[in-house]
Amino acid sequence: MFTTLVRTGQKAILRIEDICNKVMGSEQNILYYHGAMPNFFLWVLFLSGLLLFAYYMPTLEGAYQSVEYITQKIPYGDMIRGVHRFAADGMMLAVWLHALRVYFTDRYREYRLIAWYSGVALTFMMMLIGITGYVLVWDERSFIIVQELEKLLAAVPVIGAGLAHAFINDNTISNYTMSMSFFIHTGTSFALLVVLWIHYMRISRPVVNVTWAIGCLLFGIVLILAGLTPATSGPEAVFTVEPKYFEMDWFYLWLFPVMKILGYELTWLVLLAGATFVVLLPNFVKSKDHEPALVNSNKCVGCKLCSIDCPYEAIYMAPRTDNSRFKEIAVVISDRCAECGLCVGACNFDAIELPFNTSPVVMDDIRIAMGVN
Amino acid sequence: MTKSKDQVKVMVIACERSVNLDKELSGAHGRDLNGVSNAYVVRVPCSGMIQPRMIESAFNSGADGVIAMGCQIGDCHFREGNKFCRERLLGLRPPVIKKSVPKNRLKGFWMSEVQVKEFKQRVEDFKTEVAEELSKEAAKA
Ligand code: SF4
Ligand code: SF4
Repeated sequence: MFTTLVRTGQKAILRIEDICNKVMGSEQNILYYHGAMPNFFLWVLFLSGLLLFAYYMPTLEGAYQSVEYITQKIPYGDMIRGVHRFAADGMMLAVWLHALRVYFTDRYREYRLIAWYSGVALTFMMMLIGITGYVLVWDERSFIIVQELEKLLAAVPVIGAGLAHAFINDNTISNYTMSMSFFIHTGTSFALLVVLWIHYMRISRPVVNVTWAIGCLLFGIVLILAGLTPATSGPEAVFTVEPKYFEMDWFYLWLFPVMKILGYELTWLVLLAGATFVVLLPNFVKSKDHEPALVNSNKCVGCKLCSIDCPYEAIYMAPRTDNSRFKEIAVVISDRCAECGLCVGACNFDAIELPFNTSPVVMDDIRIAMGVN
Repeated sequence: MTKSKDQVKVMVIACERSVNLDKELSGAHGRDLNGVSNAYVVRVPCSGMIQPRMIESAFNSGADGVIAMGCQIGDCHFREGNKFCRERLLGLRPPVIKKSVPKNRLKGFWMSEVQVKEFKQRVEDFKTEVAEELSKEAAKA
C-alpha cells in the first residue's frame, strides 16, 4: 500500500510537471527548480537581512523601537521588513516542495544519502533561524516565544536547566537574551551556507540558481505580499503585562501551538520521533545490490569524457602506472556510483561498463530485437 | 529504397524510467511494442547511456528509423542523462554520431512514465515521417 501511495504521488507529480512544461517550456518550468528556489529566497533573505541589520538594535529597550523605526522612518523600510518575512515563508514552502518532490520521485536514498541527511539538518536550522527571528521584534509574541522556549529547553532531562540558562543567557530575560537570539539568528544563517555546501557534495554541476524570469516572478510575489499584508509588530513586550498577542506564522511557529497541546516533554518526544523517522526513511526501502561501473584498463585511453559526464562526481582521472602509452586512466569511486550509465554513453572505446547491462549486451539486444542474429 | 509506412521498422532505445513499457512489450523476445507494428524496444537504465554506436548498430540491424527516448528534459532521475543524450543527438556533445547515420531518421523523444498513449501515437507518426524520408532519399539517389 505504501508503495502504491508513493507511485501515485510520483505519477501525479509527473502529470503536473508535464502540464507546466506545455505552458512554460521546460527551461522555465518553475517546478524543475524546486532545489534552486530555496536558494533564491536565501539570497533575498541575506540581502534584506543585511539592510535590517544596519538599523536593528538587539537590546530590550532598543529592539522594538528600532524595528518600528525601520518600518516607519526608513524609506521602503516596511517593504524590506515585509520582504524579509515573506521570503522566509517562501523559503520554507520551497523546501517542503523540494523534499516532497525528491521523496516521491525516489531521489533521496543510496548515493543521495548525504543530501537527504543534510537536507533534514538544513530544515531544522531554518526553523531555529525563523523562531529566533520572531524574538528579535520584541513584541508580546517574542516574549511568549522566549518564555515557552525556556520551558521547552528546561524540560530536557539532566542538562535542561543548563540549556535554558544558556538560551536566556542570564538568570532572567535580559539584554543578553536579545544578543543570544540575534547571534543564533544570524550565526545559524551563516552556518546554513556550510551545510548547504555539504548538501551539494557529490553532485556535479548542481542547479543552484533559478532563471531570471523565475527569479523575477518569485520576487514579484514576495513584493506583492509585503505590500498587501505589511509585516507589523504586536504591542511591545513589557515584563509587567501578561503577553497575549501571538499572530501565527504556520511555516515557523507551528511548534508553539503544538507545545500548548502536548506539553513540553511530549513535544520533545514527538520532535525526536519525527526527526528519527525522517532520517530513517531511506532505510525503509530495500536497495538492490550495488553494482558500480567498471573500467577496463586495456581499453581506457584517458580521454576524460566519462569523468566530465558523471553526474555524481564518481569518476576521477588517475595517472597510469602500467607503462601504457596513455597518461591517465578513469577510476570509479564505487560508493558514489549511481549505476546510471552516463559514463557508458560518454565513452567511445567501450572502456567503462555497467556490469549488469554492458554496452555489448545492449547492442546484442538491439540486434535480437531487430531479428538479426 | 522506398517503403510504405507499415513496412517501416523502428527501433526505440528507451530509458526504463521514461514511458512505462512494463506491460507494453511482447513477441518472441519480449521487445515488440504492443499495438504498433514493426516497432521494437530495448531499454537502458538512462537515456544518457545511449552511445552513438548503439544507434549505428540499430540502423545496421535493419531499422529504418531510430528513436532515443528519455524522460522530459528538465527531469532526469540521474540529473543530466537526457540532456546529454539530446546534445549528442544534436551533435553538440562528444562522442559524436557518425556522418553515415541518417540523421533525418533519428529522433529523440522526451516523455514521462505516464505518457504511454501519447508515446505510441508519436511512434506511429514517426513511422510516417520515416516512410516519407525514405522516399525523399530514394528520389535523390
Ligand atoms: S570515456 Fe572511456 S576512454 Fe575516456 S577516460 Fe572514460 S573510460 Fe577511459
Ligand atoms: S554509472 Fe558512471 S556516470 Fe553513473 S554515477 Fe556511476 S560512474 Fe558516474
